[in-house]
Amino acid sequence: MLFKYYRNLKIEKQESVTGLLFILPYSIGFLLFQGLPFIISFIISTTNLRYISKLDQVRFVGISNFSEMFQDKSVVQALTTSLKYCVMYVPAIMLAALLVALMLNQKIYARNFLRTMLFMPYVSNIVAVSVIFSIMLSPTNGIINTMLRSFGVGDPPMWLLGTETALPTVAAVACWQQMGMQMVIYLAALQDVPKELGESASIDGANAWIKFTHVLLPIISPTTFFLTITTIIGSLKNFSIIQTMTGGGPGTSTTVLPVSIVRSAFGSYRLGYASAQGMLLFAVVMVITVIQWRGQKKWVNYL
Amino acid sequence: MGKLFVGFKANAGMKILTALLIMVGFVNIFPFIFMVSSSFKPLNQIFEYPFRLIPRTVTMINYEGLFSAEYFFTRWYANTIIMVACTILLKSAVIIPAAYAFARLRFGGRDKIFLIFLATLMIPGDVTLVPRYVVYKLLGITDSMWSLVLPNTFDIFFVFMMRQFFASVPFELTEAAIIDGCSHSRVLYRIILPNAKPAIMTMIIFTFIWGWNDYMGPYIFITDNKKQMLTVGIQMFQNGYAEDYGLQMAAAALAMVPVIALFLSAQKFFIEGVATSGIKG
Repeated sequence: MLFKYYRNLKIEKQESVTGLLFILPYSIGFLLFQGLPFIISFIISTTNLRYISKLDQVRFVGISNFSEMFQDKSVVQALTTSLKYCVMYVPAIMLAALLVALMLNQKIYARNFLRTMLFMPYVSNIVAVSVIFSIMLSPTNGIINTMLRSFGVGDPPMWLLGTETALPTVAAVACWQQMGMQMVIYLAALQDVPKELGESASIDGANAWIKFTHVLLPIISPTTFFLTITTIIGSLKNFSIIQTMTGGGPGTSTTVLPVSIVRSAFGSYRLGYASAQGMLLFAVVMVITVIQWRGQKKWVNYL
Repeated sequence: MGKLFVGFKANAGMKILTALLIMVGFVNIFPFIFMVSSSFKPLNQIFEYPFRLIPRTVTMINYEGLFSAEYFFTRWYANTIIMVACTILLKSAVIIPAAYAFARLRFGGRDKIFLIFLATLMIPGDVTLVPRYVVYKLLGITDSMWSLVLPNTFDIFFVFMMRQFFASVPFELTEAAIIDGCSHSRVLYRIILPNAKPAIMTMIIFTFIWGWNDYMGPYIFITDNKKQMLTVGIQMFQNGYAEDYGLQMAAAALAMVPVIALFLSAQKFFIEGVATSGIKG
């Protein structure tokens, strides 16, 4: 019956009916699992929600979660730690990825083999990574410090167990683990750069450095822009690597905002308060993205 | 002979660069070498210096320990395989038609709907952690693999990727079929999909690797030990019981086997998929 109705429709009408039917399953799931959580996070953050089983005790508390949050030293500190992590991690990984991609883009031998080796950490399991590094970086008898001592370093760093060194160490391990993806994306961009551009610059007498800064970097700037935005967002949602490597410690030295959210939600059962912190994280991401979007005219060249 | 020599000279710089990159590459994968080697060592040899690639005494005791009754290692392994397989199947079934519609069918509001969906890429998953927990709890899917399968299924990132790919298939290939009265599902199945193998492979591989390695999902949404996934499971070797590093290394090594094997056998799709599917923006 329905099928007959469909058959008699004009071809354009058929197309739009099919189109809507094809996106229907996805749209329902998307609204339920992505859209709905985002919308209700605003609502939850204005309530005192604690236990899902006691929904009748939920009260609207206005902005009190937010005003409490900005006076809560641990939340403010978590935000600062998140931003510190971002500042350490983003430039380091972008530079490393670009450098490695530039080298891989030369006429080197065994390029595919090297690319595989350099990409491999990206597919590794985060808990496996944390286990391996906590053993290798053990301050007393880990292989790294034993090696440093044999080179005559009397007082090698505490790595993951030092309050000053834990955050940079996690950032470094994260760079190692994630770099492959950035590298491959940069490599794809570099391979699209027309060869003639470099050649004509050479004829004009440009040296390698001028060619790099005035020809290559501007051409790949859209990729750099895209990677900067996604890497910053990625660096602010770093729950997994922090939780597995340090659990937020020692002390509070690596307690970033996502760790603080999880603690508020599932440690002290303050879902409303945790949701307010989620909103804070979202606001930070939005502000950084908007600033970047506005600033892109100054340095991003679209061909 | 002379020609070969000239080539050698011109490439001397490249040889040095290759050598340098091989060194960087080996440092890069050293943690994995360390892991595999340590997993065959008895506990008292793991911290020995200098590092020995081949253990002085090769032991299987760590691997045997994984399968002892007090852990659910095989269970976690099976759980993860089933979860990832379900995600891949469901995701393909839902995302492929949606991406086809967004790429090749004209209907009112299509681009607006797509842009609204796409804007959610800006929302990091950690932001909506609490509301997701609330929604899953109300749907009754916490403590089951569906709390991991369903959210991963509706990932807009892959709709975006597949849409880019489907849009690049020439319209001439499909127009004639449609005018001849061929239905869109037939066009999708017979014409588009055979042309989109690299994109589908990329989606499957990324879904596998991200799903397999996901930590936050199982950590938050699954509490029952028997229903746990491998990633969080390995951590139990770390935190519970005595710190048995050999056991942890063996667990880590076995957890990485499927992803590394998949990556090595399908890296053509994996790496070139990034380049061709528009991930670079």
